[in-house]
Amino acid sequence: MLAGFWQLLFWLDIWPEYVLPSPVSVGKTLAHGVRDQSLLIGVAISMKRIAIGYGISLGVGVFAGLLIGRFRIFEDTLGSLISGLQTLPTICWLPLSLLWFGLNDKAIIFLVFMGAVLSIATGTDSGVKNVPPLYIRAAKTMGAKRWKLYLEVIIPAALPHIIIGMKQGWSFAWRSLMAGELLIVCLGLGHLLMLGRELNDMSQVIAVMLIIILIGILVDRLFFFQSRKTYPRTLGPG
Amino acid sequence: MSEGVGVDNLIELDYVKVDDGQRRSTAHSAKLDLRVQHVSKSFQSKNGTVYVLEDINLEISQGEFVCLVGPSGCGKSTLMNIVAGLEQADSGDVWANGRRIQGAGPDRVVIFQEAALFPWLNVIKNVEFGLKLKGISGRERRTIALEYLKMVHLTKFQNSHIHELSGGMKQRVAIARALAMNPEMLLMDEPFSALDAQTRWILHYELQNIWMKTKKTILFVTHNIREAVCLADRVFILSTSPGKIKKEFFIDLPRPRDDNDVNVAEYSTRIMKELKTEIDKVVKCEMDADSCVECDIKCTTVEAAKTDIGGGI
Repeated sequence: MLAGFWQLLFWLDIWPEYVLPSPVSVGKTLAHGVRDQSLLIGVAISMKRIAIGYGISLGVGVFAGLLIGRFRIFEDTLGSLISGLQTLPTICWLPLSLLWFGLNDKAIIFLVFMGAVLSIATGTDSGVKNVPPLYIRAAKTMGAKRWKLYLEVIIPAALPHIIIGMKQGWSFAWRSLMAGELLIVCLGLGHLLMLGRELNDMSQVIAVMLIIILIGILVDRLFFFQSRKTYPRTLGPG
Repeated sequence: MSEGVGVDNLIELDYVKVDDGQRRSTAHSAKLDLRVQHVSKSFQSKNGTVYVLEDINLEISQGEFVCLVGPSGCGKSTLMNIVAGLEQADSGDVWANGRRIQGAGPDRVVIFQEAALFPWLNVIKNVEFGLKLKGISGRERRTIALEYLKMVHLTKFQNSHIHELSGGMKQRVAIARALAMNPEMLLMDEPFSALDAQTRWILHYELQNIWMKTKKTILFVTHNIREAVCLADRVFILSTSPGKIKKEFFIDLPRPRDDNDVNVAEYSTRIMKELKTEIDKVVKCEMDADSCVECDIKCTTVEAAKTDIGGGI
């Protein structure tokens, strides 16, 4: 229905086509992009970057969150550092990233990492702090020690919070990826978007935007919707 | 009622009057499983030092069922935590099976008031939890877990989620989980006090059956005298502030006992008399009214606690 309304607006001819392209021409651009693989390559490159960046931030974020959640000394140092850094928009890391890594993939991956890692760390931290002490006591009397206590009790009990952090981290990562790709010229979806602007090709701009939205929704649904189902009432008392 | 069973047979031992020598002679000749020696514990509060436990001595033989009874705040749960290794005593030693305990361990599994089952695991996986920590292989784990789930009659629910179970069922799973580890002893910290009367009645009966089958040493903490008499071989009465063992009762009644059995009731009444003075003390302390300050001093400060020994008991 939205597409119909869009087509209607187009027919009304209020704006010229380079401002508002018709859904048909956007569809054609999409089809063309898929056929000559330019769109697919863009998606693949962007996904590769976010996979690496997000993967690293997942490991680092969960580890940092565990440290902050369990040890006072890390809470006072690392914890306050993270809450301070959270006020900084991720894109502000771009100049630093460029100076550290140069104009390349690494700089963008670093941006993605910075986008996600703080949310994941704070999510894990709050998850760990909310683990009922009773679970830990019970596990201890059954012989759980050190890393086994973390692996078998603390992480599973904190998982709902960790997933919330992961979800938020994902959306931040996705945004900073796009921002980074817009500003650094090196393929990827953001670059395609910029290319559309440079060629004055509005239908490509809108086509790429649609794809970005689509991927965002798809990942959210695929990974995070299911996990909510798998852990019912995990936060409730046992 | 059979001959020789009755309230006259209730043997009691006054810990205030008897000296150490006498006390020791009553200790069972069987192999000792748990020995608590001169354990004391205190906390700092704004009103001064609170002596939660003072010079606790306990000896429990292998396969014995022992209950600790006392009013709330008498430190019975603290004592349990010390035995479990979850808390440290200020002074004194705890020996379990000939070894001095250092921290919590799977030889002394605790069953808490809330079942403390892990909601991210289903029933059978919960029972397997301790076995997994021990490094027992998957199939063997399943076999052992099923065996103990069968003992608590819950094999039907092996694949259920924890939140689908009732309170009584959760506690059964917790018992199965503890037994599956094959511990030296079970430490039960008011495990049935959050359950309704009927469920509790059934679980009293079943716990006795399980105990007779497995012959585990059980240390059971409760504030319910009837429960203690129904379950235990020996009942220790703890006094409050400071927590000290006041009296020991030997419950020599045939098993399985019923909560509503006449003898259980009679024994309970006798023991209740002992406990009453302690409960009075607690009530006095917990009333807010205008005598609050005086009460606080009386109950919690060092001097008051010291002068209290042997006094109000």
